[in-house]
Amino acid sequence: MSRLRAVATAFRQQALIFWADPQWLIPNIIAPFVITLVALMLFKNVDGPVVLYAVLGGGMMGMWGNTLYSSGWSIQSDRWWGTLESNLVTPTPLIWIIAGRAIWNAWIGILNGVLILVFAEVVFQAPISLNDPVLFFLAFFLTLLSLSALGLLFSSAFVLTRAASVLTNGLEFPIYIGTGTMFPIALLPFWMNPLSLSLGPTWGIDAIRYSALGTTQFTFVEGYWGDLAIMILLSFVYLAVAVVLFGWLDRKVRRDASMGRF
Amino acid sequence: MAGREAVIEVNDLVRVYKTSSGFVRKKRKETVAVDHISFSVEQGELFGLLGPNGAGKTTTIKMLTTLLLPTSGSIKVLGYDIVKDSIEVRKRIGLILGGEKGLYYRITARQNLKYFADLYGVPLSTRDKRIREVLDLVGLQDRADERVEDFSRGMKQRLHIAKGIVHDPELIFMDEPSIGLDPQAARDTRRMIKDFISAGKTIMLTTHYMYEADELCDRIGVITKGKIVALDTPEVLKRLVRDTSVIEVEVFGLTEKLIEDTRRLPGVQAVSATMAEDKQVMRVQVTDPAEMLGKVVAILQDRKVIGVKVKEPTLEDAYLWLVEGDVET
Repeated sequence: MSRLRAVATAFRQQALIFWADPQWLIPNIIAPFVITLVALMLFKNVDGPVVLYAVLGGGMMGMWGNTLYSSGWSIQSDRWWGTLESNLVTPTPLIWIIAGRAIWNAWIGILNGVLILVFAEVVFQAPISLNDPVLFFLAFFLTLLSLSALGLLFSSAFVLTRAASVLTNGLEFPIYIGTGTMFPIALLPFWMNPLSLSLGPTWGIDAIRYSALGTTQFTFVEGYWGDLAIMILLSFVYLAVAVVLFGWLDRKVRRDASMGRF
Repeated sequence: MAGREAVIEVNDLVRVYKTSSGFVRKKRKETVAVDHISFSVEQGELFGLLGPNGAGKTTTIKMLTTLLLPTSGSIKVLGYDIVKDSIEVRKRIGLILGGEKGLYYRITARQNLKYFADLYGVPLSTRDKRIREVLDLVGLQDRADERVEDFSRGMKQRLHIAKGIVHDPELIFMDEPSIGLDPQAARDTRRMIKDFISAGKTIMLTTHYMYEADELCDRIGVITKGKIVALDTPEVLKRLVRDTSVIEVEVFGLTEKLIEDTRRLPGVQAVSATMAEDKQVMRVQVTDPAEMLGKVVAILQDRKVIGVKVKEPTLEDAYLWLVEGDVET
């Protein structure tokens, strides 16, 4: 079984379940949409790049929300449906199945982000013009992959625990704040900076804003390519840790008989 | 069976579950679910594992299918060690579970099968053809593109079977495949199991239904409290109780106390009962029916006895004798 095929089939499966179950639209599409709408209403009379900053933030929230929910809920749902064991008894390691699901959910997040941009432009006539669309979409795509890698890392904890839903809810807002989705992390206390800077999406969001705004007003001094390089490096670290963790988890859940509990 | 290759070899297998309760002062508890069992299953054989709830059947199946690690002992499946070579084992086995769970309800039967065929690495060139074949085999070809949530219990079970064989495994594990099915659906399931054996597959089956085990299995292992207490063909197991007869009483108003009183009668070997609202049926195993008939009826004297028969023992009676009697409600 090639890993790529496993990722592809898990991606397709997640898509089918997503479209078949409209409840996912609420956390993944509607909630970030509403938050962006509020930001647009607040900043619609403010000049400068603040509006675009807010819109991009809404898109990022959607992307992170999707990744988090996919990692947490897809495994928890498998526990409820009794399908976790059916997946584990196949020769495909669980990590590739979760990777496919995480990529689908981050992809939906991207779609969400683009929809928000279109919505802001068309409905609110927000002053949205991307400084460099090519670099913008490149950063967007790489941030998607970084979010998926981070989601994969988090999901190892979700395999281990029955409290996946609590973790999902608990991690949602710290990441919104920690990655600078809602406001520049420079505004956060210094002690939070190491945490924020260890999250790949922080750098991705910075690169996205850099390419969209064309200004360093809200961005780090590393610049666009520096941001992307750090994000890619961090993402590889997440992947490596996730591979090790999933290997360890496979033995642990088989030893402790904890996989089917919910 | 002599001379055929062993596809499952279980040696001195033990599985202990460790649980804890409490937060500050944790109380740890160990439960022995499987207690030093050994057996082997040969190629082409249909091997049944019978036992009451909590006896260790499902734990054994989970270890054989690599979902659980043994605490000690060893298992080889198709020549592979289930701990070291779990991926190789998974490629070659199928697991069919009974019950409502284990399927993706929001998508169609075909989409379920496509997903699992991919995870099992069924070649892309033959995948869709293989899915059509298994759908045809289980009689779901006309409903293949409907969502599973709209399926009846019997249809879901047929899809479970299709899912378990979509990659054409050499060895199939079935954990209570006919549980909760109506007689027609259960008969269809048994027919499919026979077809698999005719096609050269090896099957390990757990069930609560004695007539099913009697009809299907080449050999049966009876497991209770984690230990295998008997392992032989259904005919030999039935002979374990050949010196006994069964007094079957149809009665109205049977209570658990009366069953217990009957069980305590000297000369009674085992008692089982089927409790329905309109009438109850109590089966009493005895060595001397002529002597015991009056005593059993005397216990039920203030109840409405509908009928009394003396019968030859069945596999169920042998099973009950082995596990020391049980009440089926």
